[in-house]
Amino acid sequence: MLKILIVEDELDTAELVRRILTAHNFEVFHAELAEDGLRQARAEKPDLILLDLGLPDYDGQTLAGWLRDDPDLNSTSIVAFTAWPVETAQKMAESYGCAGYISKPIESVNQFVRQIESFLSKSRTE
Amino acid sequence: MTLALNTAIKLIPASQFTIEQLTAIYNQTRVDYLVPMPMNSTRLAEYISTYDVDLEHSLVALQDGTLLGVAMLGVRQGRAWLTRLGVLPNTRRNGIGETLTRGLIEQAEKLNIYFDMLEVIKDNTPAHRLFLKLGFYEVSELLVLRRPPFNQPPDTVVADAERLDRADALNLVRRDRGTQPWTNQSKSLFNASEVAGLRIMLVDGSRGWMVYQRQKFTLTRFIYKTESGNPADVAYASLSHLHNQYPRLDTHIENIQVTDPHLPAFYKMGYVESFRRIEMWRGTPPASLVGSSK
Repeated sequence: MLKILIVEDELDTAELVRRILTAHNFEVFHAELAEDGLRQARAEKPDLILLDLGLPDYDGQTLAGWLRDDPDLNSTSIVAFTAWPVETAQKMAESYGCAGYISKPIESVNQFVRQIESFLSKSRTE
Repeated sequence: MTLALNTAIKLIPASQFTIEQLTAIYNQTRVDYLVPMPMNSTRLAEYISTYDVDLEHSLVALQDGTLLGVAMLGVRQGRAWLTRLGVLPNTRRNGIGETLTRGLIEQAEKLNIYFDMLEVIKDNTPAHRLFLKLGFYEVSELLVLRRPPFNQPPDTVVADAERLDRADALNLVRRDRGTQPWTNQSKSLFNASEVAGLRIMLVDGSRGWMVYQRQKFTLTRFIYKTESGNPADVAYASLSHLHNQYPRLDTHIENIQVTDPHLPAFYKMGYVESFRRIEMWRGTPPASLVGSSK
């Protein structure tokens, strides 16, 4: 079963993502803060990290930097999860070593799952 | 869903709430923002201290025991700063933002302050429109920039670079730069921990300095000056030394004016634009602040 870590401080959003991904047979972990996100990433070695860029302790970019700096995690696929305008989201995701971004809010469950599967598939072929 | 509010909104001093309560209400008001910028209580406490936020004169909007919004007031000699203004998403369009903003202006006036500053995120049209209505006017456009830590810096520019400790660094920014954006005023640096600096002289005699805060994982709060020579060249030399000294630190700098002549150096060093703000003022800066900055 593929593992996905969602780092998201908005609990309703995190719960929605957890339900969607669990229903599609992913194993889902959740961290509310950047520091906990790093701890869980090290412990669980997820296949993909869905990363909110705005977190209360350190922001998502800082966490992406820590993950990219960690030899055990630097090839893990990170996907920015953000409500930022498309151009900004794209720029930040690219600069901070993310595979891409998914816009919030989730408007189509099917599309969201397809995006996740596509990022996973790309990371497995790289 | 927007809730209609029928009874009067009460404004309560923020000092009557704990930092945890203020953090919770602030985060709730920001969940749907373009750039939400959530905080935990540690970060909010640091924000309050660094930016001289006066909780006695900051306000929480309350109705029938329900928290609706928050707005904070920074207070320094001769000027006030409106910040962290937010209203719960489902209670907007009921005049709560306007009530809070008017409340802060009145609080500043109680302190005999008639010069107010703020920044609003570019494209936050409702807030921008509200501030114009309340007498604020646009002063400048500001950039928030990031540079990721794993972006290998280029070789250092050949220059005579002298590292400065906190005391020497703060000596460089000692004069009051009171009409700079609030976050970049000298007082923000004086209040911050882990401040250091760098003085640089290039082989052609160009020279300048850069002062910054080095946090555990980030470099931030840059203040810099070119004393002679091309600002972009001097800034690039300073940045090359700084990022080679701290290659593993993320960098986050805010409220750099779009017209800043040092800006090309940041882009050349791999900084990317995160978002923009509009700086707005209300009233005229006191004579004591004008001419000492910008």
